[in-house]
Amino acid sequence: MNSAAPQVSEQDPGGRTVRRPSPASQEKDSVTPMTTTHPTDVTPTKVAILGAGRGGTALLDLLHQIPAIEIVGITDCNPGAPGLQRARELRVPVVPHITELIQNHGVQLILDVTGDPALGAIIRSHARPDADVLSGSASRMLWELVQHESALQAELLHAEKLAGIGSFAAGIAHDINNPLQLILGLAENLAEETDLEVIHAQAADIIAAVKRTTGICRDLTAYGRRSASHNHSLIPLNNKLDEALRIARYAVGFHDIDIVKQYAPDAAATGHPDELLHVFVNLITNAIQAMERGGTLTLRTTIEQDNVTIQVADTGCGIPPELFNEIFEPFFTTKPPGKGTGLGLYNIKHVIHQMHGTIAVTSDVGVGSTFTIRLPGVTQT
Amino acid sequence: MSEFKSGFFVGGDACNGRVLVVDDEPDIRKVVKMTLQKAGYDVLEAEDGGKAIETINSGENRLLLDVMVCDIRMPKVNGIEAIAYFRQNYPRVPLIVLTGFPDTDMATSLLRQGVVDYLVKPVEGEKLKAAVARAMEQRELAPL
Repeated sequence: MNSAAPQVSEQDPGGRTVRRPSPASQEKDSVTPMTTTHPTDVTPTKVAILGAGRGGTALLDLLHQIPAIEIVGITDCNPGAPGLQRARELRVPVVPHITELIQNHGVQLILDVTGDPALGAIIRSHARPDADVLSGSASRMLWELVQHESALQAELLHAEKLAGIGSFAAGIAHDINNPLQLILGLAENLAEETDLEVIHAQAADIIAAVKRTTGICRDLTAYGRRSASHNHSLIPLNNKLDEALRIARYAVGFHDIDIVKQYAPDAAATGHPDELLHVFVNLITNAIQAMERGGTLTLRTTIEQDNVTIQVADTGCGIPPELFNEIFEPFFTTKPPGKGTGLGLYNIKHVIHQMHGTIAVTSDVGVGSTFTIRLPGVTQT
Repeated sequence: MSEFKSGFFVGGDACNGRVLVVDDEPDIRKVVKMTLQKAGYDVLEAEDGGKAIETINSGENRLLLDVMVCDIRMPKVNGIEAIAYFRQNYPRVPLIVLTGFPDTDMATSLLRQGVVDYLVKPVEGEKLKAAVARAMEQRELAPL
């Protein structure tokens, strides 16, 4: 670990890449200095969102990811509005009264997506004089743009997922045709068999082989379906990692791979289950592809105070430090043409940021790589 | 070596030849073995390419192994590597590929390397037996 101390590249929620040496190497003299691309040292603009229906929720989902914006609060006269629940998940303050929200907190920009013309007067009489207000058709257009952008992101994620499923063909063929060979061979034998005991045993083997095959279709239809955009729920992370492991086997041959699972019991996070599954499948597939001559895949979940951490570690070829900044960029790939879209890690970063988390990589060329995802945690009960 | 002793006479029939079945799935080995044994072949099994190489290099198999039926996707030493070894060191043994994933490019390349048949799972018993019988004939024609 001396000259080749592992490097860390971390993507913060703003998409900025922060490259710094790992804690283990920080005391060395020869460490890579901390570098930050796209520095955003400006004080964030304080924004208040009025209305927590579809428009307010869409704005909330986008704006909370932008470091130059601080959402000081959201309000809605309907306490059951969907955006209020989402705000609580994102730890954005929910303020019961509109006047309280716009008078306090040093609000600089008020986004009124209620569509209620009566609010104009209330805002004018209570807001700070220097606060900007975006309301009416202007705010509607803003949230329509936001929704459009979010639909495009979802399309991109789905397209990348479908492109990946193309590489499942060999694995699926293997897993379907092997049981079919067994079924055909046994059925041919049964056609001539007279020993009742053998007939019963072979019929049972046929039934078991058919059941194994149906599992493949179940896993893949679940994986390939288009995700509903705001279907957030509690995700048991260990189960999700196991499911991803089953699916990743179609994409890559797990030959000579030892699998180590170090799971914290009840590790869970809130988010989109299908998207997180896609993230895990992608990271596991990359890890296996990095270990061409075999190795160890470690899947680890840990619960810290407020966070839950998921690690996917391999003992493969590693990533050279000069590529750390690039691997999360769109269309970056080291795979031959037709083998990778270059959108895998880019989409992963997007999904993780939407879940209010971070993703980081540590790697050592020739030793292996570890991807660490940190998410706001919840404990399953 | 009990396998090889018991295999010489199967079901009272004289042995039609010795076949090595190489597949990482025990179920596939079991069912292929069952089909070929009923056709009077003495069947040996190996779970990957490395075990196949070990098998042909042990005892009388150097001389008595007639045909290999080999999968492609296997752990450790895969089918491609095993086939390359057999072509290099035992060119007299005709090779049949039995794979779950039909791939035209791979089939062409393997046939060029001297593989005598390329079968795709699931293969009917009759086809498998016919392929092995053809391979046995080629074996007889091959120079020792």
